[in-house]
Amino acid sequence: MSQRLRHLLLGWALLLVLLAIEFGLSLTPLDRLARTLVLIPAVLMAGIVATIFMELGRGPEAPRLFAVAGLLWVAILLGLGSLDPMTRIVYHVQTPNPTSVSHDFPEPGSERPSRR
Amino acid sequence: MTEASLTHDFQYSNARHQAESAISGMWLFLASEVLFFGPLFLAWIYSRHWNQSGFDEGARQTDLMLGTVNTVILLTSSLAYSAGVAFIEAGNRRRLIQCCVIAWLLGAAFLVVKFGIEWRHDFSKGLFPGPEFAIVGPLRDGAQLFFVFYFLGTALHGLHMFVGLILVGWIIVRAREFSPGYYTPVSVVGLYWSFVDMVWIILYPLIYLVGRGP
Repeated sequence: MSQRLRHLLLGWALLLVLLAIEFGLSLTPLDRLARTLVLIPAVLMAGIVATIFMELGRGPEAPRLFAVAGLLWVAILLGLGSLDPMTRIVYHVQTPNPTSVSHDFPEPGSERPSRR
Repeated sequence: MTEASLTHDFQYSNARHQAESAISGMWLFLASEVLFFGPLFLAWIYSRHWNQSGFDEGARQTDLMLGTVNTVILLTSSLAYSAGVAFIEAGNRRRLIQCCVIAWLLGAAFLVVKFGIEWRHDFSKGLFPGPEFAIVGPLRDGAQLFFVFYFLGTALHGLHMFVGLILVGWIIVRAREFSPGYYTPVSVVGLYWSFVDMVWIILYPLIYLVGRGP
């Protein structure tokens, strides 16, 4: 019993240390892309909650299977969903003056163009 | 109490089989919840990628101190509930109730800080997306997108917290029924409570940390 409580307290202390690390990382002068590094401690924290508080390693196999399946599907969701924004090249083109753009639609009230 | 003497429903071979099925069922539900929150995280990736400056400008308007305090509150609440599970496993029902009450109070404190204080400040600063949005200029659109993510993410998480508070309250009310031989509902609610904590662990850096910085 006391060993289990010690285990939980250790997990909680680790969570607070990781929280302090990600807090500190967010205040360091990293570029915009590198700032996503603060997500690494967050992922580790989620792992600690799953293994120590939720005892994923203990008990039957099915919960581990469901946890892995959930992670797999969310990885597919985020991976495939991110592919488009991460790989698309945006070419900036000069748009023509909108007032000079002509169109083929008739003005309201005018006669319809005849079809030949 | 031996395993054989515990009651179980007809479709299970024994009480342990029933308990394991309940816990596995909860994990299956949590896997579906991961996919519920997944698109929210994808929206963050997509919106920030195309509107990085505006998105980060929005993140800088959030209250980092309140967000961090709330994270500590939630981590401690999860610790308290997990300790309660350990106590009932050892047969200490009184400690289970105490731990659940602490977990409930901390969960309620989280909601008060988030919706009673933080959201109120955000509304008073004009940070709710719409015509009255306070940030003007070229970063306005990106900042509005950030606050759509912020309000939607925190509202969905808060809704899960509210359901969690009802469940923890239900465990407190039913605590007399639990013993070292039967405490499956305590374990199942504990899984949900820790999962809600886990969602916040991911939301916290997305809202308060990534966009901040010198």
